Amino acid sequence: MPRTPVPSPIKAMVWKIEVAIGDQVSEYDPLLILESMKTEIPVDAPCAGVIAEILVAEGDAVQEDQPLFLIETAS
Amino acid sequence: MSWQKEVEELERLRGMIRGMGGPEALQRRHDSGRLNARERIAALVDADSFSEVGGLTGRADFDAGGRVESLRPGNLIVGRARIDARPVCVTSDDYSVVGSAGGATVPGKFGMAEKMAGELRLPLVRLLESTGGNSRALEELGRTYIPQMEGWEHVVANMGRVPVVAVGLGPVAGIGAAKMAFSHYSVMLRGRAHMFMAGPPLVARLGETVTKEELGGADLQARAGGVDDVVDTEEEAFARVRRFLSYLPGSVWELPPRAEPQDDPGRRDPWLLEAIPRERRRVYDMRRIVNAVLDLGSFMEMGRKHGGSVITGLGRLDGWPVAVIASDPRIYGGAWTAESNGKLERFIDLANTFHLPVVNLVDVPGFLIGRDAEMAGTIRSGSRALSAVFQAQVPWCTVLIRKVFGVAGASHADHSRYRYRFAWPSGDWGSIPVEGGIESAYKEELARAEDPVALLAQIEARLNEIRSPLRTAMAFDCEDIIDPRDTRPLLCEFASHAARLRNAGPVATAMRP
Repeated sequence: MPRTPVPSPIKAMVWKIEVAIGDQVSEYDPLLILESMKTEIPVDAPCAGVIAEILVAEGDAVQEDQPLFLIETAS
Repeated sequence: MSWQKEVEELERLRGMIRGMGGPEALQRRHDSGRLNARERIAALVDADSFSEVGGLTGRADFDAGGRVESLRPGNLIVGRARIDARPVCVTSDDYSVVGSAGGATVPGKFGMAEKMAGELRLPLVRLLESTGGNSRALEELGRTYIPQMEGWEHVVANMGRVPVVAVGLGPVAGIGAAKMAFSHYSVMLRGRAHMFMAGPPLVARLGETVTKEELGGADLQARAGGVDDVVDTEEEAFARVRRFLSYLPGSVWELPPRAEPQDDPGRRDPWLLEAIPRERRRVYDMRRIVNAVLDLGSFMEMGRKHGGSVITGLGRLDGWPVAVIASDPRIYGGAWTAESNGKLERFIDLANTFHLPVVNLVDVPGFLIGRDAEMAGTIRSGSRALSAVFQAQVPWCTVLIRKVFGVAGASHADHSRYRYRFAWPSGDWGSIPVEGGIESAYKEELARAEDPVALLAQIEARLNEIRSPLRTAMAFDCEDIIDPRDTRPLLCEFASHAARLRNAGPVATAMRP
């Protein structure tokens, strides 16, 4: 099963993680909320699949392009 | 007595030139799913409108009787044509002629094409696919030469004279990459086009092992801002070119043409009333707002992948072409970054060069802050963006959608001009936002309070009353607060006034690539 990384769109703080390992997600489902410039910035699933790994924790500082999740996709 | 014989010979020679790099080379292109240089021109311009310049130019071999036996064309096809019935100049790199590399270059032809566009005051479309120079050419020449940018005096001047569009359809290396970047709008073909200063073999000598896709693929260049947009097919690329040109005048000596209005200028989209979340920290879909206020389907975004906190693109209001700037809160809350600064500077200069009135939809918390932002030179590039705002002479209308903070927020318009401006009820502005500052500013009161949570809520409510944009409007610090649903009718009114105020002619601060 291929695993698709979900990169952070920006450099930010991880504010809230909204999914758990094993969750089934659809494309555009919010996975996590970043905080930057006093704004909550949701990161949506780029594709449907199952959350295989969560690579960050709430409160972490993340860089642009840093992988946040691995999503296991069917094909 | 007539010249029939000569005319027949002309036709024979033209046939050889039209044969390009020969049947085998053309077949190889065809088999790999690429259009050839002439098919590209035909796919771009109005049917049968292409009129070639230099249609006899090539290297001839003669037989013993002095008759031309074969004629190998140069690697650049040049001419005039029409797009949507408007005249344009077109150049098309012919990759079937020894890979379109330096050896098959006809001296002076590229520069003449650029000069033609500039002097005839016609838009120029460059269809690009070429490798850079190669060492083999040196042996033919028998010496080296000092490189110089042939024709570049016209390339640079054209940035302030006529719309220039560059289309990357294959490799565009070295000078080809410069021909891409020196444009008002550029588009690249995903997977097929690669743009870089030098390709993977040369880069490998720096210790970087990369594929051409990793080095200069379309998505990488779009993100870096090397190119504006990416498409998946050649037809899509040509459609983008035609669309871009539809908003622009033929040259700076003309005004952008109005299209037949397709949408009711009084249309009020009810969704706009709920477009902005009441919770200030939440994001929303700015592109949906842009599409709701412009003529339906008229927005053409440019440079989406680069400097994403600022959305830029061309659109129409009651048929009038306008340049649209809008914040995207989903990227750094709409803050101006080093990347979006450069994008803004070029875009505002583009609008100013071609007399496009600007509509600015603002939600700007300031410049991006932090060490990385300082290291990226945000204030330097930001200052250039500010200069573009203050130097622009085109009519300018601002809609304050939400945040207006700091230097970047303050630069939503040149405040010294008549402020054609209104704000939404979600407007929120000042030097420093309230959030986060309450606990420290009211520390003692909160510590003494029996119920600090309730007190905090009370203080917040008090401050929120003060920060209501209505108070700003009452003091005439903001010209008006409007029902968001009235935005389109008001912008269409602006466009109708702006249309009269546009001045044709060259500007002092034309766009630099």
